[in-house]
Amino acid sequence: MDYRVSKSGDYTIVELAGDVDLSCSPDARKAILRCLERSEHTLVDMSGVTYIDSSGVASLVEGYQTAKKKSLRFGLLGVSEAAMSVLQLARLDKVFPIHATLQQRLDADV
Amino acid sequence: MSQPTPVEKLLEPEGCEDLPRMLADLTVEFASSFDIDETLRNALDRFIAYLQAEAGSIFLLEEDGQALVCRECAGPVDVAGVKLRPDEGIVGKTVQLRQAQIVRDAARDPAFSGTVDADTGFVTRSILCAPLLVRDQCIGALELINKRIGDGLFDERDVNLVTAIAAAAALAIHNARMAALLVEQERVRRELELARQIQESLLPAAQGAGIPVFGLNIPAREVSGDFYDFIELADGRIYFSLADVSGKGMNAALLMAKTSSLLRCLAKSSSDIGTLLEQVNNEICETASMGMFVTIVAGYIDPSHGTLTLANAGHQPVLVRDRRGSFEEIAASAPPLGVLPDIDYTVTTVPLNDIVMFIYTDGVTESESTDGVQLGVDGLQSLILDTDTYPATGRLRAIVDALHRGGFQSHDDITLMMIDAAGPRTAGVLLAIRFQAAPAQLRMVRERVKAAVDPLALDGKLVSDLVIAINEACMNIIQHAYRGDPLGEIDLEIINNGNELTVTIRDFAAPIDLGAVKPRNIEDIRPGGLGVHFIRELMDECNYEHGADRCGNILRMKKRIDG
Repeated sequence: MDYRVSKSGDYTIVELAGDVDLSCSPDARKAILRCLERSEHTLVDMSGVTYIDSSGVASLVEGYQTAKKKSLRFGLLGVSEAAMSVLQLARLDKVFPIHATLQQRLDADV
Repeated sequence: MSQPTPVEKLLEPEGCEDLPRMLADLTVEFASSFDIDETLRNALDRFIAYLQAEAGSIFLLEEDGQALVCRECAGPVDVAGVKLRPDEGIVGKTVQLRQAQIVRDAARDPAFSGTVDADTGFVTRSILCAPLLVRDQCIGALELINKRIGDGLFDERDVNLVTAIAAAAALAIHNARMAALLVEQERVRRELELARQIQESLLPAAQGAGIPVFGLNIPAREVSGDFYDFIELADGRIYFSLADVSGKGMNAALLMAKTSSLLRCLAKSSSDIGTLLEQVNNEICETASMGMFVTIVAGYIDPSHGTLTLANAGHQPVLVRDRRGSFEEIAASAPPLGVLPDIDYTVTTVPLNDIVMFIYTDGVTESESTDGVQLGVDGLQSLILDTDTYPATGRLRAIVDALHRGGFQSHDDITLMMIDAAGPRTAGVLLAIRFQAAPAQLRMVRERVKAAVDPLALDGKLVSDLVIAINEACMNIIQHAYRGDPLGEIDLEIINNGNELTVTIRDFAAPIDLGAVKPRNIEDIRPGGLGVHFIRELMDECNYEHGADRCGNILRMKKRIDG
């Protein structure tokens, strides 16, 4: 798995790519929580995610809950089909704010 | 500046480097150098300069203590390599008495042998010699000859100096020798490790991939005298063998390598196991070293005729278990390989259906419990019964694990082979792998699962469900059963039963609390605990159980594939 962190307006975007499994989900978790600890609104771009397992999903849940506690905005972008089926399995597809692109998210924020 | 104390004065010839400094320098030199000879030579030059001697030499006792050999010398006469009896000359006397000797006037001392002088024309006037002592051991002596100044004779003050110098030199030589010994031990250890790796590479790599033969070898030392082998031949037959070479250690390992290579090579073109053993036996009889032999069970499986043929040359009886559960033995019908040439090996033919065959070395049956009771064939039979429900890939490991848990230890190599040709477990095996219980392996596992079911051309969603469920089950084992222990292993087997796939995932960790494995309420949003929910949601059936004899945990899952 690779990840990249960038800034776009109000948001910090954590871009995950490749297989997010137990071998790297701790890295993904840290990357997401670090942004939230700095009180940044955070979006996780998952368009490059080819596989995600329950430990990866757990990292997203932690991000979601931390954001909620700190009243920060959080959400997912460009969730691939492979990742979406796992989110559905975890009944989280309706819990996380999910948008196809950053623009759609910004439009929704207005 | 303070006045030197009387002792310092005694130890300090004028105009020379100071003694403590020189000794400190030499100690550092010895400690940092791997070339003892060169360091000794430098040290000797400095001693000679320090004591203002004309010549000098360092003699060391041979390892057996039978001779004193000159390792280094400096001066007009080269005595390097000269050998003395351990009590010969002033050097010998010094070593025997473990005390510094001074021959103030050599011409008048009866202990002085004078042979070197006679041979070389060198005139020895005065000798100073100190033992090289390490604790209570004398490893040699340092000898200095003729003082360059004054009357050319050494005096009592020089005795004190040479004693101090020799003590430091002895310690340095000793340290350098110990370091060299450590380097040598490390080299031997590395070579053994290399030998072990080569031996391991002689064992068949793939297990269970369509071949109903399974093997396990646990060497008692780095290298093993046991081996097993199996290989699928071009004509569809499968050759298999398990053998025990007499003796242990490197010579057994080398004969093992030779025998297994000969067999493997010839097995490919041979049609009859009796003829093959006859050939190899003659070859070993011609060339093997005296007194070494090989006990062996070898054979061919012929799936097209549903038969197995084997010969037992001096090996432990083969255990054959039929599906009704009773055991029969196939005992040796000929002496081991390497004992007598031109032996006929009786071949036994067994129908493949409905049997499981176990071949083992005496390392297994002669394992001893803490109170000295041997496992025996009966003990092995009950371990086989206990593991009847195990997947074929993990069964031998489970037998050995149960053996160890029962407190049995083997001083010999343990080698086991199982042939399970007709069992439902080996029919339709799509995948049978063992891997390290580590997060980094999960990607490989997912790829292997995808590749294994690929020939079935299943629906993409079905494959992805299967991959997710297996990945989650392995994750749970890594995190919860092994708790991150990197030495843990996982067995994964996928079997195609026609209308459904059976997935068996086995670990060898401590038994988990089965009651605790349940999906949590999924409406409750929190991280963790999703794995079991995923598995139950994606698979048609799943149940956890403990391994027999409480060894590890088994998860069996089923997924319908008939649409």
